[in-house]
Amino acid sequence: MTKPIRVGLLRLVDSAPVLLAEADGLFARLGIDVQISIEPSWSNIADKLTYGLLDAAVMLPPLALAACAGLRGPKARLVVPLSLSQGGNAIVGSLQAAASLMADHSPPAIRLLEWLQREHAKPRFAVVHAFSTHNLLLRYWLASGGADPDRDIETVVIPPENVVAALAAGTITGFCAGAPWGDVAERSNAGQIIIGTSVIWPFHPEKCLCFSEAWTEANPDLMQRLLRAVLQAQIRCDQPEEAGRIAALLADPNGLNLPRDASRAALPGGDGAECIRFHTREAWFPARAHAVWFLSQMRRWGWLDEAADIGGLAARVYRPDLLAPAVEQEGLYLAAGLPALEGAAMLPMPDADAFSPRDR
Amino acid sequence: MKVLLADDDAERAGAVARILAADEGLTVMRLKLGESLADAVAALTPDVVLVDMARPDRDALDGIRKVAALNTRPVVLFVDEDDPAFMEEAIGAGVSSYNAIGMPPPDVKPILRAAVALFRRHQQAQDDLRQAELRLKERSVIDRAKTILIRQRKLSEPDAYKWLRKNAMSSARRIVDVAQDLIRDMEGNAG
Repeated sequence: MTKPIRVGLLRLVDSAPVLLAEADGLFARLGIDVQISIEPSWSNIADKLTYGLLDAAVMLPPLALAACAGLRGPKARLVVPLSLSQGGNAIVGSLQAAASLMADHSPPAIRLLEWLQREHAKPRFAVVHAFSTHNLLLRYWLASGGADPDRDIETVVIPPENVVAALAAGTITGFCAGAPWGDVAERSNAGQIIIGTSVIWPFHPEKCLCFSEAWTEANPDLMQRLLRAVLQAQIRCDQPEEAGRIAALLADPNGLNLPRDASRAALPGGDGAECIRFHTREAWFPARAHAVWFLSQMRRWGWLDEAADIGGLAARVYRPDLLAPAVEQEGLYLAAGLPALEGAAMLPMPDADAFSPRDR
Repeated sequence: MKVLLADDDAERAGAVARILAADEGLTVMRLKLGESLADAVAALTPDVVLVDMARPDRDALDGIRKVAALNTRPVVLFVDEDDPAFMEEAIGAGVSSYNAIGMPPPDVKPILRAAVALFRRHQQAQDDLRQAELRLKERSVIDRAKTILIRQRKLSEPDAYKWLRKNAMSSARRIVDVAQDLIRDMEGNAG
């Protein structure tokens, strides 16, 4: 009997592929034993991956990159062979903020400066982690409206499941968080969704499956089986007719215990502001171009040195080569064709240089 | 040196604080219940922060300088690069430590060592408790199964136990699992 593979995740809708692979017996069918660990924080996931207390985890791509760049301690050795989901986040404002920003049908960013000037206190926005897709997209959006996220707003970090309560209590002006929390805020009338993050970057990568590099080196075969099972689950998660069943799985009080209707709204075919994509449009492909975009944004905000070797780091962490055997065995893609996905097949990404905080 | 202790488990936090307070060079501060970790770090400016890893708000310390652009001193995870086994042990015990100054103070490791030891002892006590509860629960399941056998098959109590044990051995399962199945079958038939 080999040791089970320890996979960490958080209470979020985009953890669905890993949970479903377990519930549907996809891991067992491929002969692997997976032990899922529901973790309380992203920091726990990063620390446990770094020190070998987890073998793999659902992860924020910018956090994986930041850990490997040495931004949260010594440089971690992590690899990302699979992208897990696209989209699903929302920038949400208090009812008052939303009313100011969404006065007509023009894009809300246009009214940003006007709103900031009218506010007496610095608006306070919550993100789920400093090194999150949410923070980088929120900052990008603020900057695109001419605001300086370091000067014009205050950013705080609040666990996703607490953001709606913080908004309702008035301790924050808004937040950027994943599903289902934007829809939960609207349903409870605590706030209003200003934009979904897919408006900022259509089909943006959201979560990834991140591994301890040492574990993948010691267990290449187990990793392939794990990747295949999750790829199979991602296909199921993308089917609207499966969404009811998956929402019920996510609502299991002994598991993630997520609000069922709000989860359903964020799954494919749902009526939420953003629907998560798990498989179609090569949502599974860990494009190095994505890693480069995240790292460029970190450099833009001064978190990384100007001299940092972004291309080198992206290539070391993002490893589509590790995924090649699994996608070929699953009949999804010829391994030889994978590199082509890096280029023309990827949708345009927001231009890092197109917008910079206006000098005021 | 100022140490901030963030642990909602009052008993464990008290024990850690008592141990650390024995060192005259240390000022130990506790996070108030409901107070946010980031706020406490900003207000109290500790040199070292000891955090219960089960706290969901630990993420607020990660990259604190990067998010807030406040005048807070940088908070970084304390890591002993020369001793990864110790780091693994600390994480396994559920305690993590941050320095709020650029370099870890030279005498920080004994502090973390003491905290890790206490967290582990606490974890062990909890595990023992859980084990004891589990054993009690298992015993009551076996007792219920025995009662069924005594009533329905007119077996004596030792024979009822032997029956369970024989079935467990022949199917390579635990006695409690056999007992559980028996109860489920009976309740299934009854319903």
